[in-house]
Amino acid sequence: MKLIKIMFTFLALTLNTFSIQAQHVSDPELVAEGAKAYSENCARCHNARPAEEYSKKEWSVVIPHMRAKAHMTGKEALAVEAFLASTLTADVRNARDYENRTTTRSGAELVTQFGCQGCHQLKGEGGKLGPSLDNVVINRGETFILNKLMDPKFNNAASAMPKYPMSEEDIKAIIDFLRN
Amino acid sequence: MKKVILQSAVATAISISMLTSATAQESSALDIGRLAIAGYGDVTYIEQSNMKDEEGNDVQNNVVARFVPIFLFQMSEKIHIEAELEFSTNAEGETETELEYANMHYFYNDNTIITAGKFLLPFGQFGANLHPSWINKAASNPGIYGGHGGNGALGGVTGIWNDTGINIANTWNLGDAGRVFTDFYTVSGPRQEEGDHGGGVEIESKKGDNNDSMAFGGRIAYAFLPEWEIGMSYYSGAYSDDGDLDYNAYNIDFNWVGSYASVRGEIFGSTAETEGEEEGEEEGHGEEWVKDFDKRGWYIQGTWQARQLGKAWLNPVEFVVRYSDIESDFDGSVDHDFEEDGGKTGSRVYYGVNYWLEPSAVLKLGAESTSIDNEAASHTTVPDDRIFLQLAFGF
Repeated sequence: MKLIKIMFTFLALTLNTFSIQAQHVSDPELVAEGAKAYSENCARCHNARPAEEYSKKEWSVVIPHMRAKAHMTGKEALAVEAFLASTLTADVRNARDYENRTTTRSGAELVTQFGCQGCHQLKGEGGKLGPSLDNVVINRGETFILNKLMDPKFNNAASAMPKYPMSEEDIKAIIDFLRN
Repeated sequence: MKKVILQSAVATAISISMLTSATAQESSALDIGRLAIAGYGDVTYIEQSNMKDEEGNDVQNNVVARFVPIFLFQMSEKIHIEAELEFSTNAEGETETELEYANMHYFYNDNTIITAGKFLLPFGQFGANLHPSWINKAASNPGIYGGHGGNGALGGVTGIWNDTGINIANTWNLGDAGRVFTDFYTVSGPRQEEGDHGGGVEIESKKGDNNDSMAFGGRIAYAFLPEWEIGMSYYSGAYSDDGDLDYNAYNIDFNWVGSYASVRGEIFGSTAETEGEEEGEEEGHGEEWVKDFDKRGWYIQGTWQARQLGKAWLNPVEFVVRYSDIESDFDGSVDHDFEEDGGKTGSRVYYGVNYWLEPSAVLKLGAESTSIDNEAASHTTVPDDRIFLQLAFGF
């Protein structure tokens, strides 16, 4: 009977693992959760590191190491991995993704997709790793936002903001969204 | 009946396990890797007046370098292997090599990680997570820590502990932002340094144990993400060769991280039982004694990022200040072989300015001043005001 209990415990744990994998890694909700976990956990000890410092394959090996260091759960680790992967292209320079030139995604959708509120507050919600996005277009100017999204390190070499693979249409949509 | 249930359970578990693997492959948009190399390194220039080397010769300045690669290997979704090597040059220009840790993580479930091998003990935060030079905001270690950067005339009261054994880590979610982290481990434990009576306590992983007693310890922390983490650690083990002298230590750590500033610190205390013998009358033996030898210390460190001022040229600039204080029972009145620096009490203050070249590469300029309260407790006293220039990087 004791052995049966042990086996059922094992079964429950296996099911738990199964539930972690059930969510698709490109799910925008998972990416947003990953951005939040990235913002909340990395900066507890050190500057958050931009996604482009490692390849997707390297991140998949580095994240389990950081999961142990930061006491992240398996779900959080997978979400962080999904977030980092969502910001990387196959191009080692992480160049902008011109395949999406004719994007139909709205600024709001893009802000959610790229997990911006993982690090930035917007209308009272979001992380505090980066500055608030409320009135950012008015305060910093459209050119600044454009430059920041194209090259996050243009004004600060130590910026941890990922260089997102977004098209010019994406950037314009985000600026329009943030302006309103 | 039992056999049928058991067989069904096993079959179901295996099926679900296979399904899990299949689903992971099917649904994952990630590129799964096997090997990665991370790590850190630094080059440090130290200037100190009246600086001496280990043989007492004058040294005008000192440049040391370290390269600390971490080898990471993902065997499966459940098993992860990691090893950190430290290559460094000492003051004599010789290369030193040290295995910081080498262990295997088994991700038992979503919340539990079992680690076996040689690992950094989760005792406080500095030793386990914060000591790498690109993470440590200062160019030197807090005054309570010995080694790993040197502590000059003020010896540390503890160290960056690693040992061989097993650790079970758990994470408990309490709402959206609350987390409880627990670590419980058993390791080979402390050992007695060379010396006939009351030799110092050495906490360093070595082949085999010097007694048949394992050490136990753990850390319980509460984090309110992303800003707060407060932890309490405890460690206990027998250190003498015959296993009848104990060493106990505690650590209370806290960490606050804001958008532009951070404050972190630790309070440390330890008690080591020591034994000795009173001087006897002429050739006779005196009375034997066992005393508790206490060491205590604390540090607090604050940082502030100048990017808060909104000036673009100040974005990479960060200021650091740290204060450390240590004390111990040793006043030189007891004749035993505890390490020379172990008995000193004093304080140390560090001021620094950092210039971040990348999120994980920093140029640090720092000045450190030390006051020793009980110079009589040591055989030699070296003025310990130092200036650092350090380039530290994580990779």
